[in-house]
Amino acid sequence: MQTKLTKLLGIEHPIIQGGMAWIADASLASAVSNAGGLGIISAMNADADWVRNEIKKCRTLTDKPFGVNIMLMSPHVEEVAKMVAEEKVPVVTTGAGNPSRFVKAWKEAGIVIIPVVASTALAKMVERAGVDAVIAEGGESGGHVGDLTTMALVPQVVDAVKIPVIAAGGIGDGRGVVAAFALGACGVQMGTRFLVADECTVSEEYKKKVLAAKDISTMVTGRRLGHPVRAIKNAYMNNYAKLEADSNVPDETLEQFGVGSLRKAAKEGNADEGCFLAGQIAGMVSKRQSAKEIVGEVMAQADKMMEGVQWDV
Amino acid sequence: METLEKLKEILSECKGEDLDITPETTFDELDFDSLDKVDIVMQIEEAYDISLGDNMQLSTVGELVAKIDEAVANK
Repeated sequence: MQTKLTKLLGIEHPIIQGGMAWIADASLASAVSNAGGLGIISAMNADADWVRNEIKKCRTLTDKPFGVNIMLMSPHVEEVAKMVAEEKVPVVTTGAGNPSRFVKAWKEAGIVIIPVVASTALAKMVERAGVDAVIAEGGESGGHVGDLTTMALVPQVVDAVKIPVIAAGGIGDGRGVVAAFALGACGVQMGTRFLVADECTVSEEYKKKVLAAKDISTMVTGRRLGHPVRAIKNAYMNNYAKLEADSNVPDETLEQFGVGSLRKAAKEGNADEGCFLAGQIAGMVSKRQSAKEIVGEVMAQADKMMEGVQWDV
Repeated sequence: METLEKLKEILSECKGEDLDITPETTFDELDFDSLDKVDIVMQIEEAYDISLGDNMQLSTVGELVAKIDEAVANK
C-alpha cells in the first residue's frame, strides 16, 4: 500500500517499528525493514560507538532503509547525533523532547527526520524547525507516555501541521492501521506487537509476559517524577506505585528504585525486578511470528478493510 | 508591564486558573510540565512573532519578560 509515508521513506508498507530501548537492535530493525516496513535501532542511553556498531550490523543484514531512534535526554545525545550524520543513516526518529538544534546537520546529511510528539505545540515547533514528518504518540503506548490518547491526539496534530503524521500508541493490527488513516495519519508506528517477533532479541520472560497479557495488564507509574511510564503489572510496578503514593518516600529513592529495571526485564528476564514496558494492545498479541509475518498480516487485514475505500493517505 | 500582563494571560490559560504572577514568581512554583512549557513558548512566539530559541533556562517570570522584550526590540 502506498501512502505519503511509504513515498517519503521509500518503503513498501506504512509501518514503522518503535524504537524500544534495550530491545530495538540491528536484529529486529533489519527484520522489519526486510519485511517492507521501517526498522528502527534504539540509541537509548548508549554511546556513539555502540550505536554505530548496531548501524553497521544492520547494514550487513538489510539493504532496505532503516532508522535510529535518538532519545534526546540521553547523556550521549550530542555524540550520537553527530555520528548518525556521519553514518548518513536514512531516517532518524527522536523521543523525549525537541530535536530542533540537530535538524540542520541531519538535513545536510540527507536524513529524513521524524520526531515523536505528544502535543500539537511540539508538532508545530518541530515542523517549523524543518522536520519531514511527526509521529503522534498517544498514551496507550508502552514506555514513556503522555496524557493524550491516540484517538484525541492524532486528528489534532493532523490539523495543526502540514507535514505527514504517523499514528502511534494502541495500534496492533490492521484495524488500528485503518483507524489511523481515518484519523488523518498516513502510517503507523508499532512497538508492542514486534516484542514477540522471532527476530526480537528481548528476553524469553519478556515475550512470555507480553503473550500472557490481557487488556488490563498494563499500568502507568512515574507521574510523580514527571516521567510516566506504561509497563506490564508485576512486583516491580506494584512496589513502585506504592513508593510513589507514599509522601514520606523522597523523589531520590523513587529514582534509585527505577535504575536498571528495564535492562533487568529486557536482558535478564527478571520477572519481579524488571520493568516490562508494553502498550495497552499487549492483550491483542497472542502469537509468535516473524517480523515478515507480522507486517504481512497487519497489512493484509488493513488492505481488506480498505477495499473500495478511497482515502487520501 | 504590558508583557507581564500578556504573559499572565498565557500562563493562566495553560494552568486553567487565574494565576497571581509577579516578576519574582519562579517557574518552579508554577510547576509546568514539559508539554506545558512547549505550549507556552509556542503561544508567546506566535503572539509576538518572535523566536525564543530552543534551550531556555529561566528561573523567574521576570527573566522571561525581559527575554520577550529583548526579542521584540531586536525584530
